[in-house]
Amino acid sequence: MRILLVEDEAPLRETLAARLKREGYAVDAASDGEEGIYLGREVPFDVGIIDLGLPRMSGMDLVRLLRSEGKKFPILILTARSSWQDKVEGLKSGADDYLVKPFHVEELLARLNALLRRAAGWSKPTLDCGPITLDLAAQTVTVEGVSVDLTSYEYKVLEYLMLHAGELVSKADLTEHIYQQDFDRDSNVLEVFIGRLRKKLDPEGTLKPIETVRGRGYRFAIPRTE
Amino acid sequence: MAGRTLSLQARQLLAASLGLVAFLGLTGYALDQAFVEVAGNTMRQRLQNYAWAYMRGTELLRNGDIIPPENPPDARLSSVGSGLYAAILADDFRWESESALGRELPFDEALKPGEDRYEGPIETSAGTLYRQSMGMAWEVSDIKAVNVTVHVAETTASMDRQVSAFRRALWAYLGAAGALLLALQTLVLRWSLAPLRRVVGEMEKVTAGEGERLSGSYPQELTLLTDSLNALIDVGREQIARNRNILGDLAHSLKTPLAVVRSELDSGHSQADIRAAVEDQVARMNQIVAYQLSRAAASGHQTFAAPLPIRPCAEEIVQSLEKVYAGKNILCEFEVDDHACFYGERGDLMELLGNLLENAFKWARHRVLLTVRAMTIAPQRRAAILITVEDDGPGIAPEDVERLLQRGVRGDERVHGHGIGLAIVQDLVKAYRGELAVERSAELGGASFVVRFAPVV
Repeated sequence: MRILLVEDEAPLRETLAARLKREGYAVDAASDGEEGIYLGREVPFDVGIIDLGLPRMSGMDLVRLLRSEGKKFPILILTARSSWQDKVEGLKSGADDYLVKPFHVEELLARLNALLRRAAGWSKPTLDCGPITLDLAAQTVTVEGVSVDLTSYEYKVLEYLMLHAGELVSKADLTEHIYQQDFDRDSNVLEVFIGRLRKKLDPEGTLKPIETVRGRGYRFAIPRTE
Repeated sequence: MAGRTLSLQARQLLAASLGLVAFLGLTGYALDQAFVEVAGNTMRQRLQNYAWAYMRGTELLRNGDIIPPENPPDARLSSVGSGLYAAILADDFRWESESALGRELPFDEALKPGEDRYEGPIETSAGTLYRQSMGMAWEVSDIKAVNVTVHVAETTASMDRQVSAFRRALWAYLGAAGALLLALQTLVLRWSLAPLRRVVGEMEKVTAGEGERLSGSYPQELTLLTDSLNALIDVGREQIARNRNILGDLAHSLKTPLAVVRSELDSGHSQADIRAAVEDQVARMNQIVAYQLSRAAASGHQTFAAPLPIRPCAEEIVQSLEKVYAGKNILCEFEVDDHACFYGERGDLMELLGNLLENAFKWARHRVLLTVRAMTIAPQRRAAILITVEDDGPGIAPEDVERLLQRGVRGDERVHGHGIGLAIVQDLVKAYRGELAVERSAELGGASFVVRFAPVV
């Protein structure tokens, strides 16, 4: 999952970025609104975290501009102002959720999860596809009730595929949404992850959860059971 | 009048003086004109009388000689250069009054019998003249008649003297009247503006802290203003007192967590314990700050508030909450009177509805119901407002309600889960002199928060 993080306060930005990376997100951080709009135009983000009090272009204007340019990824705004008037203004500008500073990072992660899930059309915090269940909050995966041990990157790849279950996901999409900008796209790390996922989820080879669409990408083949 | 506006007194005086000047000027001009005309008519009348007197008093001898009257009709006619002159012409006979001696006067023209002429002003070497001339045929015998012409002329000097004497007197009196009127006007103005000056003086005292509010009785036109000023002063005082309380509460309530942190640092506990304790206290301080901040922002005064329709505000908040709680699939129903209005600050209404509705969204399983009713009691009074927010969540047990609403409990000490939001609602309701009740929703089964604002005059 690729996150746009726009926050002008350097210590907060850096701790947040570090924490989000540890959680397996790809993070592009910007320190002001103009950098934010530049990144927002260039990179296909899955979700944005935008502080409202930004130099050069306010967070509210940034959200408005992104929305007016047709960017649909969910946006969570951070604000030090807790009045309802400010909250309503922020949400009216096109944001999807808000968090009042100071906040617990856990709260932020839970909100991001919920936003991503909702954006992909899932209403519950667990993604069920046949026997495979992915718990977004706990970040665990079970097959027929048996927990499967995944590395953080494997989990992220599976999460992205399951969020978009039934859709074709290109390799480029996958790498862009899971890794930082500087990732070497030519390597075959992705194939390795997919191979390992197939083995872990389906050691007998009966479920065939991940389909390879030759030359185009992958598709999570088991339909949603919601 | 760029930059500064004239004082009321200056405006009044300026207007009054301009009016006065115009009025007196026109009056003076009219009187002046009338007098000049009258003086002209009088002179004409006089000259005509003199001419007739000469006609009547003159004797015609048989030989054709003419004997002018012995006594002239005006003594000036016999003193040289007096400015009043007369002449009688008959055929080749010519007589001039003594006053005309040595003067070139326009007395040469002979008029036809019956002709009567008044002319002037005529410029001559003897000065500007008005001349009355008259022609007549006198029968000397049965067969002979003589044409006689009488000229009487007067210089304008005496008329000019009269007119200028009149003018001097006229303008002197008018000027005096004007000055008197202006002085009177100033006095009247000072008298009628005195209450305003008193308001200013009293306000200065209030600002300086010497007075409490505007006292005394004022003219009817000013009582609305002074009453409003008094209300404003009271609101300001209340606000200051409230802010002082908030500041005090904030400082005091921050002291406890700070003391805990302090003692924890000195306690020699393990790093993890200290960390946990500090974490707790930070959360507590954060709550305190958020609560007191919103208390400070709430204005709560309704003296000058314009009516604020409730429906658009409620719609905005529900739209926001539906976005934030999109994952819960909550159906929020609306029963809001279109004309229901809140008499207060928009921020306060948003805070009130926002906190109540967020609570409901948080606890509801699927349904939230917002009802706003406006109840007009008397046409001259603002309607009473009843706001009800219900949900189908677990509700609040009756024994917890009292604890939840307990007065004087600070935001940081309230029942967990209903947190500072409810404390803010309570403060706002109190500030607007309303009532808050917590009940069980008859329709949805969960909690029902009822806010009631009494009608205000």
